[in-house]
Amino acid sequence: MANPLKIIKNGIIDENPTFVQVIGMCPTLAVTSSAINGLGMGVSTAAVLICANVVIALIRNFIPDKIRIPAFVVVIASFVTIVDFILQAYAPTSLYNALGLYIPLIVVNCIILGRAEAFASKNNAIDSFFDGVGQGLGFTIALCVLGLVREFLGSGTAFGIRILPEAFPQTLILIMAPGAFFTLGMLMALFNYVKNNKKA
Amino acid sequence: MKEITKPAIILLVITAIAAALLGIIQSVTAGPIAEKSAATQAAAMQEVFPDAVSFEEMTDAELTGTISAVAAAKDGSGADAGYVITVNPSGFGGVVKTMVGVSADGTVTGISILSLSETPGLGARATEPEFAAEFVGKSGTLAVNKDGGEITAITSATITSRAVTSGVNEALAWVAENGGAN
Repeated sequence: MANPLKIIKNGIIDENPTFVQVIGMCPTLAVTSSAINGLGMGVSTAAVLICANVVIALIRNFIPDKIRIPAFVVVIASFVTIVDFILQAYAPTSLYNALGLYIPLIVVNCIILGRAEAFASKNNAIDSFFDGVGQGLGFTIALCVLGLVREFLGSGTAFGIRILPEAFPQTLILIMAPGAFFTLGMLMALFNYVKNNKKA
Repeated sequence: MKEITKPAIILLVITAIAAALLGIIQSVTAGPIAEKSAATQAAAMQEVFPDAVSFEEMTDAELTGTISAVAAAKDGSGADAGYVITVNPSGFGGVVKTMVGVSADGTVTGISILSLSETPGLGARATEPEFAAEFVGKSGTLAVNKDGGEITAITSATITSRAVTSGVNEALAWVAENGGAN
């Protein structure tokens, strides 16, 4: 069995889903117009990812190869629906209103299906749990940073708290769709620059 | 033959278990969800009509345009103080469901956006209290500042701002037409 810390670190740095694997781009680009949206999307995705990884690892030996994709999709979609119901019923209304829009998006997030294919279908439940934690954290951190940068420069706030004075010119394009691409590109370059320098 | 039936049966079992689980979760959460949505509804009505004491759904109201519901707002003595009207104008990304409180004399007492699918960070900012405050106390026919009106539109979300404004206008027109007489 691999070292849990190593699996987690792998998810956050070596194989960061956003900056290194460049998967799950649709939610990454769409929801990171503010830090809190990024955080919410990251946490919900991580929760589904961990649950789906564990269940898929547990049932991996019963699933014939031919039907693995539909089986994985059913497991993932079920967890997303459960998370949606639970949040709707028990989470504060304001939190659900902020996240509700993005929850169904998790079903089509290829990070989850990708990890099910690449990791959970080949490893035991405990390792898969830590893989889910690592990848989920990696995704959450990436989305949070992306949202923070865009929100800070685009609206002069961080997590909804005003940092730059109103009079400071706001770069509105950063909170619009093109800004997501610009910011992601810059952050990806920075992340890989730092990562590669460390290695050398 | 076996190669087809075996995966099919396994998939059937997996989907059946998933469906059963979802059914259980749904039945457990249905109650709290309905309660919460009713509470949210009542709170939203109170927010758009702070002076009212109670609300009563008007099931016989004539629904014109995008109006989907009308409730009468009652004051302490039980008389009609105004109306809470739900309108569904189209914004940039879909319907912007808005609740508008209008007093019997045709003044907006408050608005609240119940649901929208506008761009997060732009049109979705219509839900912020600053924008709702633009409408309070206004009457007649409203327009956003870009169209020469008195409503300050949300930055880079003129379409959303116009949608909400047109919804408020519908509510005002409804009250002018059907209410106010008492």
